[in-house]
Amino acid sequence: MKRFSVLSAVLACAATTFAQEKVVIQYDCIPNYANWGGVTAAYFKASGVRVPPDMKGSSAAMAALELEKANPQADTVYYNGGIGYQAAQKGLHEPYKPEGFEKIPDDLKDPEGTWFTVHTAHIAILVNTSALGGKPVPRSFADLLKPEYKGMVVYDDPTIHGTGFTFVYGINAILGGGSDFKAGFDYLKALDANILNYAKENSYNELLRGEIPIWINADGNGLKARHTDKAPVEVVIPKEGTVVLPMVMALVKGAPRPEEAKKYLDWLLGDEAQKVMAESYFRPIMKVDLGPGLSSQFLPDSAYAKVQALPLKEMAADADDFKARWTREIRAGR
Amino acid sequence: MNGSLAPMEAAPLATGAGPRRRAWELLLALPLAVVFAAFLLYPILTILLTSLKPGSGVLHSGGGGSSSHTIFSNYLELFRDPIYCEAMLHSLVLSASVALGATLLCLGPAWLFARYEFPGKRLMRAGFALPMSLSGILVGFLAVIMLGRVGFIPQMSQGLTGKAWLSGAAYQLSGLVIAYLYFEIPRGVVTLESALSKFDPRLDAAARSLGASRWQRFLWIVLPLIAPALVATFAVTFSVSLGSFGVALVLSKRFSVLPLELFHQVVAITNFPLASAMAVFLIALALALNFALGRWMRRHFSLRHA
Amino acid sequence: MRENLRRPGFLPLYAFTLVLWLIVMSPFAVVVLGAFLQTTFLGLSTEQWARGGDGESLFSVKWFGYVWGLYRGTLLFSVKLALLSVLLCLLIGVPGGMVLARRQFPGRDLLESIVLLPLSLPGIALSIGILQAFAIVRGEWWLILAGHLLYTLPFMVRMVMDALRSFDVAALETAARSLGAGYWQRLRWVVLPNLRHAMVAASLLVFCVSWGEFNISFLLNTPLNQTFPAALYATYTTNSFQVSSAATVIFLGVVVPALMAIQWLGGGRGVKLEQGV
Repeated sequence: MKRFSVLSAVLACAATTFAQEKVVIQYDCIPNYANWGGVTAAYFKASGVRVPPDMKGSSAAMAALELEKANPQADTVYYNGGIGYQAAQKGLHEPYKPEGFEKIPDDLKDPEGTWFTVHTAHIAILVNTSALGGKPVPRSFADLLKPEYKGMVVYDDPTIHGTGFTFVYGINAILGGGSDFKAGFDYLKALDANILNYAKENSYNELLRGEIPIWINADGNGLKARHTDKAPVEVVIPKEGTVVLPMVMALVKGAPRPEEAKKYLDWLLGDEAQKVMAESYFRPIMKVDLGPGLSSQFLPDSAYAKVQALPLKEMAADADDFKARWTREIRAGR
Repeated sequence: MNGSLAPMEAAPLATGAGPRRRAWELLLALPLAVVFAAFLLYPILTILLTSLKPGSGVLHSGGGGSSSHTIFSNYLELFRDPIYCEAMLHSLVLSASVALGATLLCLGPAWLFARYEFPGKRLMRAGFALPMSLSGILVGFLAVIMLGRVGFIPQMSQGLTGKAWLSGAAYQLSGLVIAYLYFEIPRGVVTLESALSKFDPRLDAAARSLGASRWQRFLWIVLPLIAPALVATFAVTFSVSLGSFGVALVLSKRFSVLPLELFHQVVAITNFPLASAMAVFLIALALALNFALGRWMRRHFSLRHA
Repeated sequence: MRENLRRPGFLPLYAFTLVLWLIVMSPFAVVVLGAFLQTTFLGLSTEQWARGGDGESLFSVKWFGYVWGLYRGTLLFSVKLALLSVLLCLLIGVPGGMVLARRQFPGRDLLESIVLLPLSLPGIALSIGILQAFAIVRGEWWLILAGHLLYTLPFMVRMVMDALRSFDVAALETAARSLGAGYWQRLRWVVLPNLRHAMVAASLLVFCVSWGEFNISFLLNTPLNQTFPAALYATYTTNSFQVSSAATVIFLGVVVPALMAIQWLGGGRGVKLEQGV
């Protein structure tokens, strides 16, 4: 019947448009996080290869890789340093040293190339000043415990997102705690009283609109909200100091499109890509000239006086137990 | 209506002439049967079997093991762990209240559409049908836009009266109920409207001529006749709310519901046996409810399907 | 309308329904406006809304461009899936519905119950089942299509069955048979023409259901093959209000005309467009 032939024709056209595009799959490629939307658009312009968006958080990406070990779907993956290290330990990555690999500082890459940093950020307190309702902007982690911020604080669920995991793991070191993590967990338990929820999804939109007044996340996201989306957001590096968030990438073991993936990784460490990433206020790992305008929009170096780097090896080794403990002690208590 | 009521409708037409009648015609239904066997029955069987296996994934690594595992370990864990119990409770309470609310509230519009004609009726009906066709996340998004911390309603009331009304209501249990009602009421309206339109006005007129008051007529004539439709609406609304995932993903910040726990188990914790146990539990609940209500109605009401 | 007003009970019912209707419609108004206007013009305090940029005109379509550029692939994929769902529902569901409505055979009731089952079951539970049952072919786009079929076939089958069970078709077919028409002749000239109305309405329904399907698709999505509701979700969480409103308007732009078409076709008799939410 005529309807069928029309339908079939439409479908045939649609099918062919898909067949022709070259792709590289990157797990954890959130368009509005670290400007992956801009980066992938620039790569498409440069090479004609499309990298589609993928909304998985760090832990979710690793979980997906593990699930698909027998039949990998992804070519590359992007995650938080601690999770990336763990994934490399689990043998989920293929060693690869992209162009420019030697320029990366040693503590921010694996010597064999099973993971390497592409840009960094820091844990910060992102505050939507309008949504505070007249309350003062918190300046330290200790401030966040004050009862006036009840129901206003959000951080990402550490079992899903790498940023959340880095925070709950790192708060112990920031507060000077020991290897039993007591200081960290005590703080988290106290913070629980002010928590609105443990975000399972990315909360950028909610921060912009003031749905979430206080979000503990990467400073880059806060600066983007402030400068690009012109929202009344202030980025606070807490008085106690903070930790570095190395964001790492790797080539997936058994990637379906290894050659294209390698080209993509090479490009990501190049000047153009690093500059585009910097537009989202994540610090590029390579030394690139950002121009005076962009550089001035980053927070001054003085704010980062007390910054620690977390020991990735321990972080990876402890990860599963740590997540289980967090689930038991913090989440279950709500 | 749901599947368990369907056999009560008109029996299949006997358009054939005797047993020599084309048996091959049955082959036309084969693709249908194959699709459902492959993508409905086989997956259900798979999760049933998986739910009996030992747990895996992030929270189980390095411990547990087969020493303490029995066939029903996952189900026991489901019922013992406070997080999951709480999520189950929330799911049940939420679904029950929504089902009740929807069934009651949609009576009004359904009656209006079934018994009256008026200008703009089509527009109204189309408008009511709209929420039903939306993705759950869209409904959640709309709820946040209207009733979130800085939603439209709090903002407007802040501007007009100086006090923000219902700020953050979207994330409370009541807010979730409203969001669920948002897409369940249209469902109820459409279902009840078709039931009410089959209602014979002559019965009503006869009762009136015998002197029955409006309320008496409603209670003793209308209600019993539409009761099966009401019960069916309740059952479907309950099942749909129980399994609703999209809305919960966006809105449940203060507490959890079971579909979300399921999602979390699969995506982050990768404990498939436990996730399968949750899935089986949800499916079993929905099936049991529909089955029980179907049987109850068959026993209490004649085969005249409203 | 005037004579309606004389009937008791009309006015309160109408008022109640109207209020409900306005409540149902209001979020859409806010969203549609938000996609086009700078939110200052909604009369709201602008501090808590992401501002659209400097000195933008009253109507701005740049957000639609952003959504289109980023999620063009998912839009096309969803449309392709929806069209395929319609095609397959017609090819599989119509014959199936015909047999279920017209023939009696052992297991007929069971098959009918099974076909109508997905509407009562939680979508995410079913998708986890499909995920595990077909783990070897994870990532294939037709798995998502299978999930869509689970939810769309019941509609097609149900509407075909309802249409065939109506008295007219039976009578017409009996008359045709008594006049000597053979099976295929009856099918072509009596049964199918009467089904046409139901098939068109059902096709529109199937298109809408597939277009908006989220529960099953969400877990089966891969970066390469994503449905538009998943992209919607991405904009809700990681983008500004303008972008998410623009994406929502695009979504509604497909659903609303289809719904109006269904209403216009007079598909009022029990035509239910239900989404698994």
